[in-house]
Amino acid sequence: MTKAMLIDTSNCLYCNACTVECKRENDVPVGKDIFWTRMEVHEVGSFPDVRQYFIKRACNHCTDAPCVDVCPTGALYHHPEGFVVLDQDKCTGCGYCTQACPFHIPQLEVFDPLTGAAKAHKCTFCIQRTANGGEPACAMACPFGAITFGEREDLIAQGKERVAALQAKGISKARLYGEHEMGGLHVLYVLEDEPEAYGLPSEPQYPAMVTLWQKIAQPVGGILAGLTAVGLLADWLVVRRKVRIGEEK
Amino acid sequence: MAQREIQVFNAVQRLVHWLHVVAFTVLALTGFVLYAPVQSLAMGYAGWTLRLLHRIAAILLALVPLIYLIFSPRRLFDSLKRIFTWTKEDVGWFKAFPRYYFLGDEEAMPPQDKFNAGQKMFYIVTAVCLLLFGVTGFLMWFGKFAIPTWLFLWSVFIHDLCFIAYVCFFLIHFALCAVHPLMRGSLNGMLFGWLPEEYIKHHHARYYEELVSEKK
Repeated sequence: MTKAMLIDTSNCLYCNACTVECKRENDVPVGKDIFWTRMEVHEVGSFPDVRQYFIKRACNHCTDAPCVDVCPTGALYHHPEGFVVLDQDKCTGCGYCTQACPFHIPQLEVFDPLTGAAKAHKCTFCIQRTANGGEPACAMACPFGAITFGEREDLIAQGKERVAALQAKGISKARLYGEHEMGGLHVLYVLEDEPEAYGLPSEPQYPAMVTLWQKIAQPVGGILAGLTAVGLLADWLVVRRKVRIGEEK
Repeated sequence: MAQREIQVFNAVQRLVHWLHVVAFTVLALTGFVLYAPVQSLAMGYAGWTLRLLHRIAAILLALVPLIYLIFSPRRLFDSLKRIFTWTKEDVGWFKAFPRYYFLGDEEAMPPQDKFNAGQKMFYIVTAVCLLLFGVTGFLMWFGKFAIPTWLFLWSVFIHDLCFIAYVCFFLIHFALCAVHPLMRGSLNGMLFGWLPEEYIKHHHARYYEELVSEKK
């Protein structure tokens, strides 16, 4: 059983309580464009048939998380309860995660662009609270019940119920997002429209380059260097023997 | 009998070579930490320090072709011309090299130029990798937030591929100049600039002929 968060965008009123509470709880730097969770407004349609969608954007805690695979320090890891944690003490700020994430979520706080001193930032599901039985700060702060924290399976059922209710009200495009994407997200969204209307990719992909680089190039490189070394050792043994025989003659 | 020696590399060539060695060693070791990755060294402040060292060494390495070009352009262009001139003797090298390097069989080896086909290959791989390292490294250093994601990921990938090629060729280069019983004398050529006439006659016969005909 893994934990998850259900974001019901149809109940969100863009009050930003989650953003503020997140910054306070996690000491996210203020005055910089760095957020562990942020609110987005997306306008769709053309006048007069226009509307706005609000969505809380933060790490989606993928089951198949490319950021974890590219992290060279182990700062990003899968928590047994399903979410993806960032340990900032281990992070060295290489920025690979910011490039590998299909949702473009992790942000790099750069202290010096010349030396490359930096730290990554992203939502950790408030590990300090959830590990002790609490709920994430954003879920606690939301005054409209748009953010629910709980068992992932329960939340999927709850999300589907909510989608059915919205569809019954005539919102035919309502859907649940995150059940299967990236091996299953640990943040589920009730949407009233297509994912693109909220700035979410409808089919997020594990980047092919990451597979090439992590799963193929790196092991193949080790094998090639190993073969070269073995070949050279064989060469040395054979030629040394040959030289000795020559000297004896 | 004192052996006659021939100067093969001038002071600038030797300087840039050893500068390259120092920079490459620092770059390879610090880069390996992220490539492998060696988690305990890549973490936090250790990682910052290694990144800084990597960048300093990268600037040193970028100086190598510049110093070469400014202080010894004729030698540089002479080398480049030789590297990119491929003849049937070079094709012959590929047929003869296993017996040559494993058994010390010099009979089957066609006369080679100042750089034999293997050295030409090494030189070209090194030069191409240097260029690609430079371009992709520059993109990752200064373009992290300016370039599109696909370009960044391609840069990392190409940087990795170059690293693999560079390290494999370096291992061979090192083994031949410092370990191989029949070739290791050539290290003196890069340390002091001079090699015995006999060595050049044996291993770079075509170059030897060229030198002899120049003298006449």
